Amino acid sequence: MSGALLQVRGVAKRFGGLVAVNDVSFDVARGELVSIIGPNGAGKTTLFNLLTGQLAPSAGQVLFDVQDISALSPNRRAQLGLGRTFQISQTLTSLSVVENVMVGAFLHHRGLKDAARRAEEVLHLVGLADRADVRAGILTLSERRRLEVARALALDPQIVLLDEVMAGLNPNEVQEVVSLVERLHAEGHTFLVIEHNLKVVRRFSERVIVIERGAKLAEGTAEDVLADPRVVEAYIGRKRAT
Amino acid sequence: MINPDGASAFAPASSAGAADRTGPRTRSAPRVKTFASELPRALLVLGLLSGLVYLYSGDTFTLNTLAAAFLFAGLSSAWNIIGGFGGQFSLGHSVFFAVGAYTTANLYLKAGISPWIALAPAALLAALVACLLSWPVFRLRGPFFAIATMAFTEVALALGNYMESITGGTRGMSIPFRLGFANMIFRDRLSYALLMLGFAALCLLVVLAVHRSRLGYYLQAVRDNEQAARAAGISVLRVKLMGMALSAALTGIGGGLFFMQVRVADPAALLSLFEFGVKFALIALIGGLGTIYGPLLGALVVIPLESWLRAELGGIVPGANLIVLSLCLILAALFMKHGIVGSLQRLFTIATRRIPR
Amino acid sequence: MADLANIVAVGILLGGIYALVSVGLNLIFGVIRIVNFAQGEFVMLGMYGTYAAYTFLRVDPYLALVVVLPGLFLFGAIVQRLILAPLRTEPTMQIFATFGLLMLLENVVLALTRGTAYSVTSVVAQTSIGIGGVQVGLVRLVALAAATGVAVALGLFLKHSMLGRAIRAVAQDRSAARLVGVNVDRIYMLTFGIGAALAGLAGCLLTPIYTLSPQIGTSFILPAFAVVVLGGLGSVLGAYIGGFIVGLTEAFAGYYLDPALKHAVLFAVFIAVLIVRPSGLFGQVGAEEVGLRDQS
Repeated sequence: MSGALLQVRGVAKRFGGLVAVNDVSFDVARGELVSIIGPNGAGKTTLFNLLTGQLAPSAGQVLFDVQDISALSPNRRAQLGLGRTFQISQTLTSLSVVENVMVGAFLHHRGLKDAARRAEEVLHLVGLADRADVRAGILTLSERRRLEVARALALDPQIVLLDEVMAGLNPNEVQEVVSLVERLHAEGHTFLVIEHNLKVVRRFSERVIVIERGAKLAEGTAEDVLADPRVVEAYIGRKRAT
Repeated sequence: MINPDGASAFAPASSAGAADRTGPRTRSAPRVKTFASELPRALLVLGLLSGLVYLYSGDTFTLNTLAAAFLFAGLSSAWNIIGGFGGQFSLGHSVFFAVGAYTTANLYLKAGISPWIALAPAALLAALVACLLSWPVFRLRGPFFAIATMAFTEVALALGNYMESITGGTRGMSIPFRLGFANMIFRDRLSYALLMLGFAALCLLVVLAVHRSRLGYYLQAVRDNEQAARAAGISVLRVKLMGMALSAALTGIGGGLFFMQVRVADPAALLSLFEFGVKFALIALIGGLGTIYGPLLGALVVIPLESWLRAELGGIVPGANLIVLSLCLILAALFMKHGIVGSLQRLFTIATRRIPR
Repeated sequence: MADLANIVAVGILLGGIYALVSVGLNLIFGVIRIVNFAQGEFVMLGMYGTYAAYTFLRVDPYLALVVVLPGLFLFGAIVQRLILAPLRTEPTMQIFATFGLLMLLENVVLALTRGTAYSVTSVVAQTSIGIGGVQVGLVRLVALAAATGVAVALGLFLKHSMLGRAIRAVAQDRSAARLVGVNVDRIYMLTFGIGAALAGLAGCLLTPIYTLSPQIGTSFILPAFAVVVLGGLGSVLGAYIGGFIVGLTEAFAGYYLDPALKHAVLFAVFIAVLIVRPSGLFGQVGAEEVGLRDQS
């Protein structure tokens, strides 16, 4: 596993006395689709921010393509090939849809026309091509999610990190986004996904990592992990209790 | 919040296409406008402005007003690069303006360098000062960035009054009246109007080039959402600094031209918050913040209005021009956030909607 | 030694004035998250109000408080409701609007007074007291005492009164406050009114010290920003202590360097603090960022 694309080595994040992420390690190989699940407040998004550079880890290392990126800024990591979406979508509201994606595409396409062309390709990929000229501020939630994915893809990233892209979508829209991710994955894209929706996780069905109270609780195939009594207790048991 | 595409005030090409969305689109070329495709419109606008100068070439008062309007059109366009596109609300641009003015004047007076040539080091020095000053304060956002840049003005004023050898201190500095093209000193007002029109043209073309480039998009991305910008691989600080450097360089040139036109000024006048620092922003807001032609339109409305007010009411009510301007500012903030350009755009959309297809 | 004592005295007295001017600014920022560029103009209005009361009603400047305080409270509340409430979610437009207000008030007063400088005297103004060999004007002592009193009273008011608690609740989390039944819009209006009234109080107490001019507001606003930033955004105690830091800095810079450079030194310090610790010495970390982000 030493050649894995993304290697997380014992990362931890403390805020004062609070330990949000505690000694988490895992790998993501090229071409994989890995899901991270866990109850609310388990530290999933904090973990994500450690991987993408929004936060600096208190301990541990993040290796990307065997390079230690733990100290790099978010933009450096994006330049290296880490694309991401945000839990609360971060749309560039005054730009049009195609321009939003161009902002990502400019990373590898300096020229305006080249970037626009690449952006259009990506918009076709995510099914937003007919909305290209619309101001991004007026998009629906599901369109915004797809736009975020498109902006990340426009970076020509080696891995895309999706932070709860399904949250707040209705079943049809979830279906759309799921098939989008599945299609992209089939084309060879690598994904690391935070997901709340267990149905979705089951469908993706590759490796699943369970985070509970900031630490890794279990890791394995979706079936195994979701059958694990500890996971049921921590995740589903708690869910019932609320 | 801010419409980035001021250009469409004149001919909203994209919305025309959106109106008849009948079949599946069969485009091969992206719909994004480039510098080359925008250029004809900019040249047309500049041509119209030259026509205006030609029309009034015998009228000294109007020529003076036009010269001032063009100067501020250029300065406000320059401010718009970092303030409008980049969303970094600088109130300190009068510092870069003054740096440009004093560089030009000192090189001319002490080293005998023609102002035409001195404008280059003036621009460079203004950009350099801007980068050094804003590097640390770019971590501040919104109003705090504005306050810090306002404080620059105050520090610069204290330093300007102190450094008499460069600025002439509180007594000011004057440039002797020696006619000649090389000295950039003219008797007729037409030359000044054309000079300032040239400056406005330079600024407009630079703004257009920036807006239709990667830097322009990066600036707008930074303005809209820094976090998203970073996730797209953008070095936020570098983009802000580049925008600021360009903006300040043009502002420095404007300062040099202004000094050569008035030929006498003291630090308090050059660093005046109301007359320069804020006016750049005010004109951009009234014209259309973050649009290509907004600052130009804003200057063509605000400056003549102001000079008219000054002529009509200045003697009767002191500060009347500033009262009207400040009212415009408040009303624009409340009711016309997209400025004249935004309002024209809305009118255009309403008008085209009424026309039966 | 006497020099040093003198500089410290000058600095502390100046600090009292700055603290007095800044408390309202900081209250408004802390609660409404608006940087009010026109706060100095509110002080200026307070001064002219005092002058008007002194001239037309023939009352002592200190008694003019009775008129000036409610007047400015009302003015502030109206300004908030008409101009700032509609712009709550637009930080850029807030800057434009409050800056427009600054220009408007300054030039309206200029137009009305035609630039004549006024001054006001009080019985108190002619008195000075010697403390340890340093001569101290009584009016400045009054300002210092008032700044202390206002800081304490405002602190107590925010801590113990119902309205004060509601204000603090809104300052901390406006949506949570709304959920528990606080009328947030009303709190904003009242807070802005109180902030303006505090500026009016400052204006009143400073009238015997300064010669009145329409531009005096702008000469207060930058030191007041410096105070707020140094002392801590949104902290009453911070504004009080920040006032003395700024006052002392200015006094020392004026003495040991060149008086012409004292403002340059002050703002250099101010910018340095903004950079090193943008939340100020006593403020909540991150407040300067919340200032821009919409909370609701």
